[in-house]
Amino acid sequence: MDNSFFNYLQRIELLAFFSGYPLIYTLIVFTAGNQRTKNNFISKRISLLPLGYALVGTLYLGLQLKNLYPNYSVENFKLTIQEPLLITWALLSILFWLPFFSKKLVISLIHSLVFFFFLLRDFFLQLSAKPGDRSMVRNSMKLYTDSLLLNLSAFVFIALLAFLFSFYNKQSRA
Amino acid sequence: MKLLSTKTLLILLVLISGYGYIASCTRDNELPPPPATTGPIINHGTNVHLPGSMTVGNSNEWKVDKAHSSVLWSTNYVGAAGLLTGRFNQFGVHDVTDAKMLNYVSAGQPLLDSSWAFYENEPAKTYFNGYVQINQSNTGEPGRDAGCNVSGMGTTAIVPGTQNLTVTNIARIKTTEVKFDPASNDYIVTVKFTWQGKLAAPLTQTIVGKLKYIPKATVQFGTAAGYDVFGLQFKFQFNCRDFGITSTSISDKIEIEVNVNLNNK
Repeated sequence: MDNSFFNYLQRIELLAFFSGYPLIYTLIVFTAGNQRTKNNFISKRISLLPLGYALVGTLYLGLQLKNLYPNYSVENFKLTIQEPLLITWALLSILFWLPFFSKKLVISLIHSLVFFFFLLRDFFLQLSAKPGDRSMVRNSMKLYTDSLLLNLSAFVFIALLAFLFSFYNKQSRA
Repeated sequence: MKLLSTKTLLILLVLISGYGYIASCTRDNELPPPPATTGPIINHGTNVHLPGSMTVGNSNEWKVDKAHSSVLWSTNYVGAAGLLTGRFNQFGVHDVTDAKMLNYVSAGQPLLDSSWAFYENEPAKTYFNGYVQINQSNTGEPGRDAGCNVSGMGTTAIVPGTQNLTVTNIARIKTTEVKFDPASNDYIVTVKFTWQGKLAAPLTQTIVGKLKYIPKATVQFGTAAGYDVFGLQFKFQFNCRDFGITSTSISDKIEIEVNVNLNNK
């Protein structure tokens, strides 16, 4: 077996972590910006979106470290990492913890769209596949669903943390 | 403008995601449909089997193949151990009326096995009458069969060349109702079971048993002409204590299994 299988495995990991972010992002930004569905809680926390994304990137880093455990040598890194460019790009999402990057919301969207294109690629491959062979798209959509849930959970988690933090600060001041 | 672009992107992403979910729908996870019924598969055919006058060579008239039929009994030894079993060497399918309860000088059964009819799909029309000669019980132990079995059952020993169909040596069954078994492909049969046993006079009990029909099939061996066969299996049980049997070697409950093979040769 060549390395293509391991490449595929690493791509589906990326798909599972990052592909759901664009939809979550646009949904929350749209909800926050729409006058009819304007919600103060969401509007105030929209700036936390990149932090949620950074949390997902951190979790992805944790997975990669777990995959490399216990050998963190360069040799093992070269053997294990089949998609170094993509993985490096994915790990850049950790930078959104920094206020410099997190202030620009749209950058996180652009960053995640790279992984969403993998999903689109699977759709095009499915279109050219023989009828009935939908297993690849089906698998991708399962991962996409997981990614949606993960990114939504990450945002909710960060929003709750921020809410508790501000609440604690208000209590401390009072 | 920002809202518009976000809205456009949202619509695009929703459409793409929606397409993905629809395209990926393989229904592999769908549970198979439940069976049409969880009950037994009951399928009664339309076979009708009648003995007619039992003319040899008439394929419309069915004959009991006694050589390949049997009447078996079983009971728990001393009422607590394994089965004690036996068979009746002489039996027949005939309605033995009081007038026919005689000693017949004959090597085989003196009465025609013609007292029956079987309608696979009309059980109300089905009936049969049968009998066994009690002293012809065969357990494979000659000492027991000709000894305590004879005295213990209130009958007399076998007289070679004679078929003893007298009242003390005959047990009879006569159907009163045959109906479909709702739980299987079989039939529920109610019979009147008559036996004197060790009583002063014959006792008749109403007993319910189960009849199984083994459907008609055609057989042919070698170059011989083919013929049809079918089978009937009737099972019931009774309490021998009701008939004055006091032997402690057998339990109260006696199970009877009648296997009758019939052909149209």
